[in-house]
Amino acid sequence: MATDKRIFIFLLVSIGLIALPHFNNIPLPLFGFFYLLLGWRFIALWKPAWLPNKFLVLFLTVSGIALLYSQHQGILGRDAGTSLFITALGLKLLEVKSSRDIYLTNYLAFIVASTLFLYQQSMWMAVYILSVCCVLLATLVTINSRLQNALTALKIAALIIMQALPLAIVLFLLFPRIEAPRWMLFEDKQQARSGLSDTLEPGSISRLGLSDELAFRVKFDGDIPPPEQRYWRGPVYSYTDGKRWTESPNRFFRRFMDRPRFLGTPYRYKLLMEPQKHHWVYALDLAAEYNDPLQRTSFYQLVTPSTPEERAEYRIVSYPHYNTGYLTKTEHHDNLQLPGEPSSRITSLVRRLHGFDGEPEAFIRQLLKFFREEQFYYTLMPDVMKDNPIETFLFESRYGFCSHYATAFVYLMRVANIPARVVGGYQGGELNKVGGFIEVRQANAHAWAEVWLSGKGWVRFDPTAAVAPERVEQDVNIDLQIASGEVNFTPVEIGAAMSWLKRGRQLWNSLDYQWQRWVINYSNTNQSNLLAALGIDNIERLLYWLIGSVTSVSLLLAWLLLRNNRPRADPVMALYQNFCAKLAKQAGLQIRTGEGARHFAQRVKRRHPEMAGRIDDITGLFIKLRYQADAEETDLRQFKRQVRKFQIPKR
Amino acid sequence: MSEAGLSLRERFRLSRFLRGEKPVDQPVRLTHRRIFILPTGRGLGFVSLIALLLLIAFIYNNNLAYLLAFILASVFFVTILHSFKTLAGLVMKSTHSQPAFAGEAAGFTFTIHNPLRQPRNNLSVSIQTEQSIELAAMEQKSLVLYVETRQRGWLACPTVTLSSTYPLGFFRAWSPLRFNLQALVYPKPSNVELPFPESDGGNGELGQGGRGHEDFYGIKNYERGDPIRQIHWKAFAKGQGLYSKEYAGTTASQLWLDYATTPGHSLEERLSQLCRWVIDAEHAGLPYGLMLPGTKIAPAHGRLHYEKCLEALALF
Repeated sequence: MATDKRIFIFLLVSIGLIALPHFNNIPLPLFGFFYLLLGWRFIALWKPAWLPNKFLVLFLTVSGIALLYSQHQGILGRDAGTSLFITALGLKLLEVKSSRDIYLTNYLAFIVASTLFLYQQSMWMAVYILSVCCVLLATLVTINSRLQNALTALKIAALIIMQALPLAIVLFLLFPRIEAPRWMLFEDKQQARSGLSDTLEPGSISRLGLSDELAFRVKFDGDIPPPEQRYWRGPVYSYTDGKRWTESPNRFFRRFMDRPRFLGTPYRYKLLMEPQKHHWVYALDLAAEYNDPLQRTSFYQLVTPSTPEERAEYRIVSYPHYNTGYLTKTEHHDNLQLPGEPSSRITSLVRRLHGFDGEPEAFIRQLLKFFREEQFYYTLMPDVMKDNPIETFLFESRYGFCSHYATAFVYLMRVANIPARVVGGYQGGELNKVGGFIEVRQANAHAWAEVWLSGKGWVRFDPTAAVAPERVEQDVNIDLQIASGEVNFTPVEIGAAMSWLKRGRQLWNSLDYQWQRWVINYSNTNQSNLLAALGIDNIERLLYWLIGSVTSVSLLLAWLLLRNNRPRADPVMALYQNFCAKLAKQAGLQIRTGEGARHFAQRVKRRHPEMAGRIDDITGLFIKLRYQADAEETDLRQFKRQVRKFQIPKR
Repeated sequence: MSEAGLSLRERFRLSRFLRGEKPVDQPVRLTHRRIFILPTGRGLGFVSLIALLLLIAFIYNNNLAYLLAFILASVFFVTILHSFKTLAGLVMKSTHSQPAFAGEAAGFTFTIHNPLRQPRNNLSVSIQTEQSIELAAMEQKSLVLYVETRQRGWLACPTVTLSSTYPLGFFRAWSPLRFNLQALVYPKPSNVELPFPESDGGNGELGQGGRGHEDFYGIKNYERGDPIRQIHWKAFAKGQGLYSKEYAGTTASQLWLDYATTPGHSLEERLSQLCRWVIDAEHAGLPYGLMLPGTKIAPAHGRLHYEKCLEALALF
């Protein structure tokens, strides 16, 4: 019966496994409450007397509800709903009696499994949940068969899931995705996302530089730009109060008159943005063409109006060489803005570098040379510079990272009356050799400077490169690896192992990329693209496709499953029956029920002594093939030939 | 095997789903024609679970939740095939029946053969009672199913239903089968303890015998049903074959059970009383004869005679 201990163990183990990844997702008291109940039920398998009685169950139910209420104030929404299902599952476990209850808990566990996907969508999680679902189905197999062996039940369940997968994939691809109406959406707290911020504050320390978290991925159609050209343009900071740098308040005008002129060969690519806080899309400097939801700001940065919390894919074309043209009056004013009069130390420095009397280009060269030749150091862990960070950096600490260099550079430019601004974004990115795409991580966050030069428009300068060129030219993330102690002066063997590890990681990342693109990010738009490629353009045709493909997949499956369902005729027996049929037709002799082949042969030989040899041959081969272990393939062939040739001559 | 075609009207007759097709003598192989599959209540519960998962996926626009729902939906579909596979190919045949007294259960024996490599894990065979059986690959098993009887006479074997909810319990596959098999139902033996009738319908031979067991009469060939204690063991031990010793008394003392003189208010009551006497006489080891209007069974003793008398009573 259903109260079989084995079935319970199956059920409890699978339920315990399915709730485990919720550790981080639901409040700890509820999580603990659930596992308390689960453990209780588990112990009760051996000590049935320890099961709670009716009153205790009632008490537990009430305390479960109280706990739920204290944590969530409601049952709607992702977090509260998940907690509700888990609590219900735990309480239900205490009063599982019949096989009906087992089914109910089983179904509840499937719901909990699907809520897990609302928190995490990695491939690992999917594989994990699918395996636990396999155990859940195995519970049902055990109830419905009297199998004694847990492994067999698991195998059957796994087989059923395998057989179900093709159909599931067809449904997944073709099932229409419609966005849920707004009233159905529950408000949930948004999770904090990391990424660039809308202010740049070189004085305070940014942890972003060490985060290995993925920012976006880029897949190029043709050539991949060299590392020193991989500047992914983000927000542009042109207003400063001396410490913080923010976007200019005058960001809403448009440059109707002049569009940038693009030169050289473009790069075409797909950009897959990870969820982020802002609407920024980090196109390669400088984006020329982009698909529909994207817009370009007057700072040449792409933004998307849709929710940035979701992964999204964009098609973009960028040119490495461009000329942005003239500068409007507002822009000119904005990009010379300074928080106050520069100090004498600053002006004397600018004067020393011929900032006031020379060409802007000459001053830039001088300044970069100054950064390179003076004692400046690149570090991700500079001292905190609270007051007057630019002066402190330039004249005292001289230890800093990209934003220190970029802000100081722009500040000095402005002092010299040259329009300049700081651009945020990402620089570099690691090429995933397996997938052929570039992964840009938060650690690649970077800041550089743009200077407006007449006749050339905005031109990019990266003062960090003057100090730490490897920051820009290498395609591996040296800083991150040095900072985390991952790469150092390693012996060769370890280096080889590292590269092997790295390749494994790249393979994994490539898989993950495909997973993100095809499974998690398979959205309405993706689906319409796919359907359009298949020639499906209206709902009617989609319906035909859905029905057609589901039918053909199920027919194929039915054929695979049922093809061996007829007892196969023994070829030896069939041939012998063929021989008997010949005798019946040509000599009127029939084998009697219960008569052996040898006896029958005797009888036939008495009537047809002239055929004795042939008959003995055939009978001998038949007996050998059917009853002896040493029969060979050649015997069967000979038997076949003999039977085919057998003919009783007419008298 | 009866694989004869069905006319369209026969195919869609509702009774086919519950009572089965016309009774047959031959073994029946279960094919798509005889196997029916419908979701169980638990299967419908699973469908609502899938609907709920789809709703969650829809609200949160979550592709993996969609995928899970689709996988479960496909599992549901695939289970139909598995349900079919559980029964398909099985060959069931009726073997024989066991007679019973009215009010008791008559037994019908069937053989189920699994001609395929695939084991059958959880078959249930039912008429009134249900039995679970498991068949390994290429295995054949017999089983007896009992049917409660009420009336004497022939009892036709009701529809036998072979069913299974394997593998997940979402579907029940079943196949109603009918066989040309009858069980003989004897009259219900009377509960009233009456002495054997004193006189007889014959010639009053009863007085001659009674305890004639001692008078050795001769030796005859052993017949099925002869009492074991009358077997000529000495001859058997010498390897001369099986003989029964006949005693003068056994042939001479005759108990006649006559319908005409049997007490009772109705036909059934009288038959019931006769039945009781037949049983008692057989148990006592007495030779007895049976006289029914139109039938006269000469006095004898033994299993065959006993069954012959009961059959006469059952079919009277």
